[in-house]
Amino acid sequence: MTESVNEDKAHLLKVIALDTGGTMTDSFIIDENGSFSVGKALTTGNEESIGILNSIEDSLNQWGKLLEDTGVGVEALVYSGTAMLNRLLEREGNDNIGVIVNAGFEDLHRLGRALQCWIGLDYAGRLHVREHEHPPTLIPRNNFKGVRGRINFWGDELIPLYERDVEKAVDELLEMNVDCICVCLLCSYMNSMHEMEVERIAKQIMKEKGKEIPVILSSDHNPVRGETPRLNALLIEQYAAEPSRKQLKAIAEKLKEKGVPAPLRILTSYGGTMSPYSKSLIPTMVSGPIGGMIGSKFIAEKYGIKNLVSSDVGGTSFDVGLTMEHYVPTKWESSLGGFILNIPMIALDSIGAGTGMYVRYNDVSGRLEFGPESAGYLIGVCNEQSGVEQVTMTDCSLILGYLNPDYFLGGKVPLNKKRALSYIEDQLATPFKTDPYETARGALDLIEINMKNHLNGMIQGLGFRPENYTLLSFGGGGPLHVAGYSKGLSFQNIMIPEWAAAFSAYGCACADHSYRHEISVDLVIDPDRTMSGFVASMLSSTWNDLKTRIKEEFEKEGRNPEEMKFKPSLKLQYFGMLKDLEVESHTDVLNAEYSAELDRFDSPDVDIILKRYDDLFEKIFRRGTKSPELGYHVTKAVGTGVVPVPKPILPEYELSSERPNDISSKGTRETYWDGKWHESSIWEMRLLNSGNIVNGPAVIEAPATTLVVPPNYRVKLDKHRIFHMEGK
Amino acid sequence: MESKNIGWNGKSLKSMLEESEKLLEDKKSYYGIEHLSLKEENPFRYERAYASLRGALVSARETALHVAASPIVTEIGELCFGLYTPEGDSIAVSTGILVHIHTMSEGIKFMIREGYEENPTINQGDIFLNNDPQCGNVHTTDVQTLIPIFWEEELIGWAGGVTHQIDIGGITPGHTLVSSIQRFDDGAYYTCLKIGSNDKIWRDHMISAKKAVRSPMYWELDEKCRLAGNLMIRDAVFEFIEREGIEYYKKFIREAIEEGRQILQKRVKERLIPGRYRASSFMDLPMKHQAWVPLAKENRISNHPLEIIVKEDGKFSVSFDGASAGGANAFNCDKGAMEGGQWVLLTQVLIYGDKVNDGAYYAVEKNYPLGSWANPGDPYLSYQAPWGNLIPAYTAMMKCLSYGLFARGFREEVVPGYGFTGDSIQGGGIFNAGPLKGERWMLSTFEISGQGLGASAVRDGLNWGYAMWNPESDLGDVETWELFQGGIPYLSRKVKPNVAGFGKYRGGGNYGSVAFIANSEKVEFFAGREGLVFHGSGGMHGGYPNSTSYRLQATNTNLAEIFQNKQDYPISDDDTRNGEFERFLEGDIERKPYGTIYPISLHNYDIIHFSESGGPGYGDPLERKLESIKQDLDDGLYTPETVNNVFGVVAKYEKTTKEWEIDVEESTKHREEIKKEREEKSMNFEEFWKYERKKITEGELSEHVNRMYSESLKLSKTWSKEFKEFWKFPEDFQMGGD
Repeated sequence: MTESVNEDKAHLLKVIALDTGGTMTDSFIIDENGSFSVGKALTTGNEESIGILNSIEDSLNQWGKLLEDTGVGVEALVYSGTAMLNRLLEREGNDNIGVIVNAGFEDLHRLGRALQCWIGLDYAGRLHVREHEHPPTLIPRNNFKGVRGRINFWGDELIPLYERDVEKAVDELLEMNVDCICVCLLCSYMNSMHEMEVERIAKQIMKEKGKEIPVILSSDHNPVRGETPRLNALLIEQYAAEPSRKQLKAIAEKLKEKGVPAPLRILTSYGGTMSPYSKSLIPTMVSGPIGGMIGSKFIAEKYGIKNLVSSDVGGTSFDVGLTMEHYVPTKWESSLGGFILNIPMIALDSIGAGTGMYVRYNDVSGRLEFGPESAGYLIGVCNEQSGVEQVTMTDCSLILGYLNPDYFLGGKVPLNKKRALSYIEDQLATPFKTDPYETARGALDLIEINMKNHLNGMIQGLGFRPENYTLLSFGGGGPLHVAGYSKGLSFQNIMIPEWAAAFSAYGCACADHSYRHEISVDLVIDPDRTMSGFVASMLSSTWNDLKTRIKEEFEKEGRNPEEMKFKPSLKLQYFGMLKDLEVESHTDVLNAEYSAELDRFDSPDVDIILKRYDDLFEKIFRRGTKSPELGYHVTKAVGTGVVPVPKPILPEYELSSERPNDISSKGTRETYWDGKWHESSIWEMRLLNSGNIVNGPAVIEAPATTLVVPPNYRVKLDKHRIFHMEGK
Repeated sequence: MESKNIGWNGKSLKSMLEESEKLLEDKKSYYGIEHLSLKEENPFRYERAYASLRGALVSARETALHVAASPIVTEIGELCFGLYTPEGDSIAVSTGILVHIHTMSEGIKFMIREGYEENPTINQGDIFLNNDPQCGNVHTTDVQTLIPIFWEEELIGWAGGVTHQIDIGGITPGHTLVSSIQRFDDGAYYTCLKIGSNDKIWRDHMISAKKAVRSPMYWELDEKCRLAGNLMIRDAVFEFIEREGIEYYKKFIREAIEEGRQILQKRVKERLIPGRYRASSFMDLPMKHQAWVPLAKENRISNHPLEIIVKEDGKFSVSFDGASAGGANAFNCDKGAMEGGQWVLLTQVLIYGDKVNDGAYYAVEKNYPLGSWANPGDPYLSYQAPWGNLIPAYTAMMKCLSYGLFARGFREEVVPGYGFTGDSIQGGGIFNAGPLKGERWMLSTFEISGQGLGASAVRDGLNWGYAMWNPESDLGDVETWELFQGGIPYLSRKVKPNVAGFGKYRGGGNYGSVAFIANSEKVEFFAGREGLVFHGSGGMHGGYPNSTSYRLQATNTNLAEIFQNKQDYPISDDDTRNGEFERFLEGDIERKPYGTIYPISLHNYDIIHFSESGGPGYGDPLERKLESIKQDLDDGLYTPETVNNVFGVVAKYEKTTKEWEIDVEESTKHREEIKKEREEKSMNFEEFWKYERKKITEGELSEHVNRMYSESLKLSKTWSKEFKEFWKFPEDFQMGGD
């Protein structure tokens, strides 16, 4: 982007990041100097690799280069995509899957959980029962076979496994020619004995019949409590993720043929990357919005920022995530296509508030209503060809002078301001009996306060205040709305990278190469900590197991496991609670010491961890809520293994004067603020130099985004080409 | 002690409350507000203000959920928060068990009326606890924490949070006790009690409160959870005032409530047709041979006649005139319960997208006749399980609203009713083996929060996904429930045929479970649900009610031997006439036709079946599409017998495809036959009237039906007059057996 005019450079690629969306495939390439370029091409569904090569070609075109000449030194090749997720959302996955569950639980998938009916709805939708609906099932009921037997919640066998039930179930499933057999038995997260027995019998029968299909156990795949999310994860893996494996391998092959030496890595929902050869691909199902979070963490590290909130305004949603004390929190309860899951995901919350969101007037309540639907890439009524008939946020921004009708996507989509104005007049201003501009500004105010509430709620929910945080804004709509949704929150700093529109793809390239594994442990530490020595040794040995498992994953993809850095953490709660928090451990070997005074083993290391948990708990939930007198319950041991990979560098530019060059000026335009029109300076983003300051009211335009600076605000472009916004 | 008034402008709270009530009475609007001046002046600022308060409540709830312990709160989300005016009117609410939002209003008003300002005094940082149904609560198991919010010297509002406890120390373990017959059986009572100051709960209270329940740890964590949420709300109010100013806040909170009142009226006008709507519902209490106390030993049915009047200007009234009497049972309802039930349904059907606050409460005129189950007027009765009457009674409201919605053309919004949130199985025991030996476990599965919803006028009802008291319904995972009730592990959770109400569009379906007692001793077990009556809404426009419940259990079984020998054990009760219990088990197998039972003792290897409710259907089942019937059969929602007898469809199972096949020709013929049979059986209204009247006059009605109508006749002159006029009885008429 910034360097696209310098054709004489070599542009040897170091990093290729790919983001395959439903319609477009984006590529983000970085050369040896840190210069970058963005390419776009149509996504090719059946053979993703074609779209990917086209997209890389497009990005190299801007430098007049070919992949064959520039790709030989690539050190990082990262992929994120929506193919798996779309396969799930559109119910186009592989449903030829056999499932073995406890007898009497053949309806487990069909019953699901009622919360899956409303989990994705807004406040009104949650109240309005007629909107509630179960997600359509993935696997037909006939593919579920029950076997008698039960393990209880502390892991003892209550009822022995009935082998003849297993034999019958396996026979029937093989008869049906299923592609694999998933096994999910109750309480297998505590004791996997019955699941392993099912596997043994199944393999035996297959051997006899000369058939071979994979048998996947829930106790191996995702050994955590909650049979519904555990089964969901198991099924979605086979239904939607596994079918992508071939595609991913093909992409890796194609790029290798073009001379790219770096192995392909896929971004995961917990922020690391993994190989297409790894055992489970489900962590890669959601990666799009994660890229932005990783990029944010990367920026936070480069700038030495402890607490950063990242905000991504896209066409349909507003995503918020936090980096807190240099650490990106993960959450456990997540949902995918309406199904709840127990897989770790970066704590990222979304609300439907994107630039394409519809704005309506409700004549009963006399109020404006927003969304939840969005015009998405159709933009709004200002896009005459789109057929959109309902006013969107973009229409509002356009008539207020914030957007340049002739420069949307660099002028590729001409916007009709008159049309937007007349629709806003008819649909919103007339029923409100107000002026259309005041109405449009009011509508944006309401949406922006919603965004602000969301942002603030997330920060406060973790026990902080905006004063502790720096705000990073990106996404195509971020720079347009950041002044609005940050108004009244006193952030330490507000940062807007020049490459805001492609920030998610950039973020992919910043991801670690890592695997995260976890296991339910259910260890109890009583209030006087008599068990802490035992807990220390159990945790140390569990972490050791996790470490071995993760090393195997790296080994499988040809990495040297000795390069791996292991990060131990654990999830715990006060005894009796149901919701846990994750705390990092300072060491993966917790020492236990004999205390002669107490005549038992104590562990100062466990004490350190418990102190961290107490502090975190109090920080989040505040006054009087700590309950150490109840003791602690360690629910899960978590291990993350990381091997070093090259990351993008942040190029540094010389600072020039505060006053921008004349060549970056595009004249003036009227913009609407606080009930009146203001003459505002207009700038070309690419032509501004590091060190320049632009005072509001102003609009800084780029093909893919627009930075709006209200009156009494100003922005300064720093040496890394990140804008810093200040205002009242 | 001389103390300064804490109300606005030097007033006392009591005088503020009186003023507010008088203005409502005189001007018929909240606080006499005529214009929503803030909204008119700057609608955007006004909406922004509301959004920020509601946002704070929702995020307080989300955060506080993490502090709570009881699975009912954390797994099912039985928690909600509200912000109230100084007089106790709710301004905005979080999501969650919305049924409680008005209940906390009544608690605040109680404190004001009782002069808490002078004694025990109300100060910044004070904490009050309430669970008294006479002070607005639903039943003792719902526990509320209320804190006053002061700005400078003035009380400017209250924050309130409520959670549903796993146990409240009543006559038996459990949360909705059926054997409670008087106040003293209901468990711990806290009548708007001050329990803390300076944002801290007093230690003496915590010690005594924990001793008053069987689950002290959950009590402590849930109490901390409610306080944590309230403090977050108070912070949000302070921020609001710093941003908007105190004068704006004061004006805003009142206008927001008045707007809520106006919107309900507008929605009623938009969605319903003016007129008089009536529907009735019933509940059975089969206690003659079960109750422990002589006073309670009678079989009862309660009568829930409901009338809604919609006026042309959108005015709306609800009356239970004609309701039967309250008495020595757990199903009595006080005002909080009645208001809560009504309010939560209005939010689900009419005002979900609007300002959800006490404005809706003030927009509705209501009548809960004194002496009836809906307002017994006796504080010494039990109010432990008001849900027993509340849930069925308000199905009638859903049906009345649905007539209006249908008539206005909102066919997809029609909800003829919902399933009872049961089987509500409860009890508990003590582990006698394993690592938890000697520890108590509680049975209070809240999977009752996932019932079948009624069909609409255009589609089938939602399966296993609705609770009338909490729009955010859920079943929870077996693996989570067993952490708390591990002495009664599940053997199944399986879709149960024939529970969904029949109709052109069927009601929501549901499942049944089998569980057995393991590693335990001293096990008590009881349950509550309708069994001998259908809930009155009972389907619409020809649709049928959902099935009722029954009890099935086996004691002294050979289950241990069965497991050891790896023989079949029961996992369902799909075919009740050839049941798996009877086929697979030796022992004492008991089937009872009713759903509500007093506690019984169970022992290891005793085994029970319980099931969740379906929803009522819509339209004539003979009009149900054949392809939908095929799907019902494939899904196991109906048995082939029901499909044949009720839907008139002939089908057979194709073994090769493992699917059901419909015989179109035979089905068409069979449907015609059924129609003919119906015609033959039918009588005109006059004949029907005579036939039914004869039953009354000749004493053919059962004892409990007679008793129910006698009570209704006694309690309401209006209802009695209309009843007698309709049946052409003399003025001095009395029900047989009275």
